Amino acid sequence: MNSILNFILMLMIVAMLIPIYAAWKSNDVWQKMLALTSVSTKASIIILVVSVLRDDWMIGVVGAIVLSVGNAGFMLLAHLLKRMDNK
Amino acid sequence: MIDILGYFCIGVGIVFWFWGTIPLLGKRTVLFKLHSLSVADTLGSMAILFGLLLKLPSEWQLLILAILSLAMWNTMLGYVLAYCTSSQEES
Repeated sequence: MNSILNFILMLMIVAMLIPIYAAWKSNDVWQKMLALTSVSTKASIIILVVSVLRDDWMIGVVGAIVLSVGNAGFMLLAHLLKRMDNK
Repeated sequence: MIDILGYFCIGVGIVFWFWGTIPLLGKRTVLFKLHSLSVADTLGSMAILFGLLLKLPSEWQLLILAILSLAMWNTMLGYVLAYCTSSQEES
């Protein structure tokens, strides 16, 4: 089980590198927001996979919290950016 | 059999991830990227979590909480980003 899940973990980390590169490359703030949203979702899923791999609940709870609070923070940031754009 | 189904779900989720993330590198508009990204991230992540659920049923409370918060928050975030960027493109 471990070797296959480790390989899957490597694939997921490679999948996470793409939006990190996209966030670094783009200049438009909304493209950067989009890429970083994808990074946060993928990072929390990777945390959950590691928690299943190690059978450790505490890491899993961190993943679930990152999933909900991280996206909520992004929503607030998006509204802030929109109001700054309108000024 | 359950193990194979679990790995299959995780594989489908990873394919969704790559399918939704590669357009990020292109030159399309934010809304186009947002569509493929929110579909891929939400559905792909839910398939991965469902695969994990099949593999480790003892942690089902946490994984179902993650699936529910993923379904709610990721969808809401996609809507908020679409709302904020579309009004920005109009002005």
